[in-house]
Amino acid sequence: MIALLLALALQVKVPDPAQYVGPPKGTAITGAQLDQRTYEVASLLRCPVCQGMSVADSPSTVALDMKAQVRELLSRGYTQEQILSYFERSYGQFVLLKPKFRGVNTLVWVLPILVLIAGAIVVITTARKLEARPEASATGQPDNPATTDPYIARVRELLEKE
Amino acid sequence: MNRTVFIVGAAITLALVAILFIGLGKDPQAIDSPLIGRTAPEFVLKAVGSGQDIDLQKLRGKPVVVNFWATWCVPCYEEHPVLVENARSIGPSVQFVGVVFNDTEQNILSFLQQRGSAYPTLLDEQGKTAIAYGVGGVPETFFINPRGTIVAKYAGPLTPELLQANLAKALQ
Repeated sequence: MIALLLALALQVKVPDPAQYVGPPKGTAITGAQLDQRTYEVASLLRCPVCQGMSVADSPSTVALDMKAQVRELLSRGYTQEQILSYFERSYGQFVLLKPKFRGVNTLVWVLPILVLIAGAIVVITTARKLEARPEASATGQPDNPATTDPYIARVRELLEKE
Repeated sequence: MNRTVFIVGAAITLALVAILFIGLGKDPQAIDSPLIGRTAPEFVLKAVGSGQDIDLQKLRGKPVVVNFWATWCVPCYEEHPVLVENARSIGPSVQFVGVVFNDTEQNILSFLQQRGSAYPTLLDEQGKTAIAYGVGGVPETFFINPRGTIVAKYAGPLTPELLQANLAKALQ
């Protein structure tokens, strides 16, 4: 009976990750280390039916299946890179919570740094200009430059009278 | 300086608003499948009820429609008659296959007895086949040409028009 059940079970064949990412390149792990690594790798995968939630944190059935597969692949010795590649092959880059440093994604990494540098330049330039103003006054230039606005001219006139 | 700041600020704001506006019209769950143009992941799964093994590789030579669904999926109830009617009217020149995941054989049999069946329904017990196909939500349908290449994917319940339009790609 057991032999028959085994024979029946063996007939079922699901897609094997080895076909797409090759044989395991790492070491098979078990126990607490397997639990820890499963959580870590599943945290890098986006749950496809949730809003910005990782596979590790989602209670959805799809995420649970994905997490179970991550666990199985780790226990077979697949590396994090191989596992992420396997999921990326099926779901695309969407499934990676940390976008890869290539193509348009490069902007995600580079743009914040560029904006930070540009902001720093603006702040430094403005600060220098503000510093330069009192010096100009000390060299004899008027504090209140000439104005064509009759209202301001009138205010100055009244202030001078006082 | 003020004018420059205004122009730069306006340009950035307009760009952001344009990006957000474009994003409004898109379904955040609609993911382009990277599998289109690639060989369909192979599987051999048991048909619910008959217990017959269905080997995708052996179906080469004619277009195959692989529909991922589940009995707990409400839009699948709406889609099921469309698939059954088309499978019956098209006949054996196109092979329809249902793949159910996160479900039980009993629920599937009960669903099919109530709503009819015209093609094999397979149980993907651990959802591994669904993962290999990048299935997120159900229903999702893949259209495979006679050479075994995925030519189209549709996420959501198929209407007769959508089914025909996608099937036409597999017949080319």
